[in-house]
Amino acid sequence: MSGKDRLPIFPSRMALTNMKSRLKGAQKGHSLLKKKADALTLRFRQVLAKIIETKVLMGEVMKEASFSLAEAKFACGDFNHIVVQNVTKASCKVKSRKENVAGVNLPVFEHYSDGTDSYELTGLSRGGQQIDKLKKNYGKAVELLVELASLQTSFVTLDEVIKITNRRVNAIEHVIIPRIENTLSYIITELDEREREEFYRLKKIQEKMKQLRAKAEKDKIARMAESEEAGSLLDDGEDDDLLFT
Amino acid sequence: MSISELYYNVDNGYLEGLVRGFKGGILRQTDYLNLIQCETLEDLKLHLQSTDYGTFLANEPSPLTVSVIDDKLKEKLVVEFQHVRNHAYEPLSTFLDFITYSYMIDNIILLITGTLHQRAISELIPKCHPLGSFEQMEAVNIAATPAELYNAILVDTPLAPFFQDCISEQDLDEMNIEIIRNTLYKAYLEGFYKFCQEMGGATADVMCPILAFEADRRAIIITINSFGTELTKDDRAKLYPRCGKLFPDGLAALARADDYDQVRAVSDYYAEYRLLFEGAGNNPGDKTLEDRFFEHEVELNVYAFMQQFHFGIFYAWVKLKEQECRNIVWIAECIAQGQRGKIDSYIQILE
Repeated sequence: MSGKDRLPIFPSRMALTNMKSRLKGAQKGHSLLKKKADALTLRFRQVLAKIIETKVLMGEVMKEASFSLAEAKFACGDFNHIVVQNVTKASCKVKSRKENVAGVNLPVFEHYSDGTDSYELTGLSRGGQQIDKLKKNYGKAVELLVELASLQTSFVTLDEVIKITNRRVNAIEHVIIPRIENTLSYIITELDEREREEFYRLKKIQEKMKQLRAKAEKDKIARMAESEEAGSLLDDGEDDDLLFT
Repeated sequence: MSISELYYNVDNGYLEGLVRGFKGGILRQTDYLNLIQCETLEDLKLHLQSTDYGTFLANEPSPLTVSVIDDKLKEKLVVEFQHVRNHAYEPLSTFLDFITYSYMIDNIILLITGTLHQRAISELIPKCHPLGSFEQMEAVNIAATPAELYNAILVDTPLAPFFQDCISEQDLDEMNIEIIRNTLYKAYLEGFYKFCQEMGGATADVMCPILAFEADRRAIIITINSFGTELTKDDRAKLYPRCGKLFPDGLAALARADDYDQVRAVSDYYAEYRLLFEGAGNNPGDKTLEDRFFEHEVELNVYAFMQQFHFGIFYAWVKLKEQECRNIVWIAECIAQGQRGKIDSYIQILE
C-alpha cells in the first residue's frame, strides 16, 4: 500500500519510545528471517542438484534392470507368474524420519530390507544366474527410487517454506517498517508542533506582561507628577514574577 | 517293441510330413539378420509376415508390445501342436502326452502356489501354459494344503506316478515349491527316458541322447545355482535325474562339489561337456554357460530330423519352435528397449 498509512496512536513521548523499540524489533526480525530464507535457499539448490543427478542415474538403472529382466526371461522362460503368486509380505520396507533444516522439518525416507529372500531357489534348474542379476538390479532401482522420493518431498516442502518466509521478509521490509517509520515521523512532527505552539504561547504571554508593566510604570509616573509626594516604600507596586524578566 | 519302417507311415505318415513341413518353416540365418536390423516392432511384424508366421499379428491393435508378440507366438505353436495331438494314434499319442507333462508340472506348481496364498482360481487359470492343461485344473482351489490337493485331485492326473515316486505326503507340505517342481521334473525325465527306451528302434536312438543331455544339464545347472543358497548337498543330490551320462559317478561327484571350478572339473571327464564349459565364461562378451547349453540342445534337436520313421522329430520340433519363440522375443525386447548391443545373443537354429 502507499507509504502514507501509519498506526493510529496518540502522539506522546511514551508512544515515541514504544515506536522506537518496535522499529528495532522489526528490523531484527527482518534480518533473522532473511538469514533463514538464505539458509533454506542454499539447501534448496543442493537438493535440486541432487535430484537432477539421481533422476539421470535412475533412467540408466531402470534401463539396465528391464534389460536384465529380458535376459532372465530368455534363459528361464516365464517365471513372472510364480513370483507374483508367491508374494506374502514385503521384504523391502521404507521408514521415515524427520530432519531439521533451519527450523523446517523435512521427511527423509530410508530403505531397509526385512526378512530373508524367499525367492532364492527360483530358476534353480534354469536361468538362476540371470535371475540373481535381475534381483540385484531391481534392488538397486528400488533403493534409488526411495532416495528420489525423499529428495522430491524435501524439494516440495522447502519450496513452500521458502515462499512463506520470503513473503514475510518482503512484508516486513515493505509494509511494517515503513509504517512504523511513518508513525515515528508523525509523532515527532506532532511533538515538534506542540513545542512550537507552547513556545509561541509563552512568547505571547511575555509580551502581554511587558505591555501591562509598561502601562503600570506610566501610570505611576503620572500620579507622582500630580501629587509631588514622596512615594512610600509600602506603595511600590507589586513584585514582578521572577519568571518573566 | 520297435516300430518297423514298413508300418510307420500307416499311422504316422501324415503327421510326420506335417511336422517336417513345420520344421522347414523355422527361421533361417537370413531371416534373423533381417529381424535384427529392424528399428521398431512394426518393422519386426512386417518382416515376420514374409516368413512362415504370416499374418499372425495382423489383428493386433497398435501399439504393438513385446508381451503381445510373445503370446501370439505361443498361441501359434499351441494350435499346431494340438492339431498334431488330435490326429495321433497310439503310441504317438502317449509320446506327445509325455511332451506336455513338463508344461503340466509348471502349471500345477503355479496352481499350488496360488492356492496356498489364497488367490482366486479364475486369476490363476489364464496364467497356465495351454499345452499343459488338464481336466482337474479348475478343481485345484478346493484343497487348502498340498497334501489334500494331492489326495483329492492330483492322484487322477497323469502326473500321479511322478508324485508317488518321490514325494510323500508330509514332504508336500514342508518343501519349498521349487524343490517340489524339480523333484517332479526329475521323475518325469526318468519316466520319459524309460518310455523311449522301451519303444526301441530309431526313437530310442534319437530321444535317449537328447533326454540324457537334458538330465545332465539340469544336474549341472542345479549344482551351480545352489551355491550360496539354503539348499543342502543331500537335498541337491535328490534332484539330479539319473538318466544321463553323469549317472552314477558324475552325479556323486557333483553332489560333493562346492564351487564352479569343481563342477567344471567333474564335467571335464565327459568330452562334450568339457567343450561346453570351455566356450563359456562370465565376462561381458562371452557366452554364458546356459547359452552354450541351449546351443548344444538345439544341435541335438536338429540332428533328430536326420533320421526318418521315429517320434523324436515331434519332440525336436516342439523344442526348436520354443527356442525360436524365445529368440524372436529376445530380439523384440532389444529393439523395444533400445539395447542393440546384445541383440545378436540369440541362439541360431538353422543355417
